Amino acid sequence: MRVLIIEDDQALGRALAKQLDNAGYKVDTAEDGREGLYYATEYPVDLVIVDLGLPTMTGLELIQAVRQQGHDYPILVLTARDRWQDKVEALKIGADDYVVKPFHVEEVLARVDALLRRSGGWAQSQLVCGAIALDTRTQQVTVHEQPVDLTSFEYRLLEYLMLHAGEVISKTQLTETLYDQDFERDSNVIEVFVGRLRRKLDPQGELKPIETLRGRGYRFALARSTPRPLKIGTA
Amino acid sequence: MVRVRSLRSRVLLWVSVALVAIFAATIIGLDLTFRRTTDRALRELLDVQLYGLVATAQPDPESGLVLSDDLTDPRFSVPGSGLFGALWDDAGRLVWRSWSSLDQELNFGSLPPPGERRAVRLRPADMPPLEAALLGVTWEFEDGRVRDYTFGVAQSLLPYEEQQRGFRWNLVGWFASMTALMLVVVGLLLGWTLRPLRRLEHEVRAVEQGSRERLGTGYPSELTGLARNLDVLIETERRRQSRYRNTLDDLAHSLKTPMAVIRSQLAELPLAAERRQPLTEQLDRVDERVSYHLKRARASGASGLGLVPVSVAAIALDLKDSLDKVYRDKAVTCELEVPDAATFRGDRGDLLEVLGNLLDNAYKFADSRVRLTAQRGAKLVLIVEDDGPGLSKQHARAVTARGARIDESVPGQGIGLAVVREIVELYEGALHLEASAWGGLRARVVLP
Repeated sequence: MRVLIIEDDQALGRALAKQLDNAGYKVDTAEDGREGLYYATEYPVDLVIVDLGLPTMTGLELIQAVRQQGHDYPILVLTARDRWQDKVEALKIGADDYVVKPFHVEEVLARVDALLRRSGGWAQSQLVCGAIALDTRTQQVTVHEQPVDLTSFEYRLLEYLMLHAGEVISKTQLTETLYDQDFERDSNVIEVFVGRLRRKLDPQGELKPIETLRGRGYRFALARSTPRPLKIGTA
Repeated sequence: MVRVRSLRSRVLLWVSVALVAIFAATIIGLDLTFRRTTDRALRELLDVQLYGLVATAQPDPESGLVLSDDLTDPRFSVPGSGLFGALWDDAGRLVWRSWSSLDQELNFGSLPPPGERRAVRLRPADMPPLEAALLGVTWEFEDGRVRDYTFGVAQSLLPYEEQQRGFRWNLVGWFASMTALMLVVVGLLLGWTLRPLRRLEHEVRAVEQGSRERLGTGYPSELTGLARNLDVLIETERRRQSRYRNTLDDLAHSLKTPMAVIRSQLAELPLAAERRQPLTEQLDRVDERVSYHLKRARASGASGLGLVPVSVAAIALDLKDSLDKVYRDKAVTCELEVPDAATFRGDRGDLLEVLGNLLDNAYKFADSRVRLTAQRGAKLVLIVEDDGPGLSKQHARAVTARGARIDESVPGQGIGLAVVREIVELYEGALHLEASAWGGLRARVVLP
């Protein structure tokens, strides 16, 4: 998952980036509004964390511009202004949630997690597709209620596929999401990891959770077990 | 001196005082002039009568001068006519008096010497005063004898006094009706002249109450300056408020970002839990205090000028949309029972803060239902209910007691309710925390 942090305070931006990185996200950072808007619109992004008090372009203007260009990924607002007037304004313009400074890092992580789940159309932190269940909070994966031991890369790969269960995910998309930008894109590492994941989840080859669509990418093929609520984000 | 508060009654009072004074002086002057004129006319009339008497006097060889009964004025012959005539000889004996004075003895006083005319005012005890004229003459008879005589006439003043009285009452009547008429005219004129002032007063009150944003135009030249200055004052006040708020926002930003850095750095420090605990606790306290005081400073309260009436419905809808988004994972249904007529007389941000905190609490603690009800009577009543666990009486009291400090407010409730209470008190309203029909908290806010 790629998270873009737009925060003008370098110390705070770095600290937050580090925590998100530890939690397994790929993080990009920008320090002012214009740079942030460039990253937010030109690079692959799954979620944006934006401070409202930014130089060159305020957070509100940035959110508005992002939404006007049709991007519907979740936006989490960081704000020092904790008046409802500011919160309502930000949410109205297209933000999905807010965290008031000074925040607890766990709070931000929980919100990011929840927003990503929701943007994939999942209402609960438990993603259940048939026999396979993934808990985004505990990062536990079970098959037929038996825990499965995954590496952090395998977990992130599965989480991404399950969040977008039913959708076709291209190899490029997976590479961009799971690796830093300077990663060698032609590598067949993704294929290797998908293969490993299949063996771990489905050693007998009965479930066939991950479909390969030649030339197009992968799709998590098991149906979601919980009803899919309406997609959030502004139209 | 009586303090007269209204300009209109002040002007009317002084105009009537001035009118009464002027008219009183005019009446007195006219009255005097009238009296002087009638006096002169009377004196001339008496002279004519006197010379008439002299002309009708006939010398009689036996008894000297005799006056024929066939006199110039018939009134001499009618008793009670008010015109009297008399003749005295040189010894001062009355030798003749007119028929009109048959029943009355008139005392003319001392007689003038020959050749002199004298005017006398007679005031007999039993009849109205009279104006009298005496003329001393020296009569030379045909036989060469010379004798002094005195002719006298007197005219009763009764008809003249009646005339004077009538004239005086006429005057007073006329001037009284003129005064009344002028007061009515002045009153109407004042009403018309003062209309812009009343309009100004009305508009200032409207701005104060928030039903309009600035004063209108088209005032008369004497008031345009005042109206413009008032508008500038209102605008300055608004600008001062917004500058104040921007400063507070900057302050919030510059305090809270470093605190966020400290908190995130602290989370990464390799510290034992018992060492980390007091640090995070202190940081939380500082954060809470800063937030509370910034919010308190930010609340404008009923500052008087420059407030626009705020629709509760629009704000409630905005907040519902926002909270539905934020509490998306929680299946909460929020009902809004807010009539369009419900308006808040105050700052929009303050209302957002009050409702935002109450609704946020309700969403946070509710099981599945939240309801906001607004009623606008003489006061604005806002009720936020939820079906959560509710607040114990003790905690409710701790939050709402007047003067309760933030430190004493309920942990877990955050500073939300304390901020609501502060803002509500700024508007001289009240916050009541009760049990809702669903078993949860029912927060009732009463605002003017």
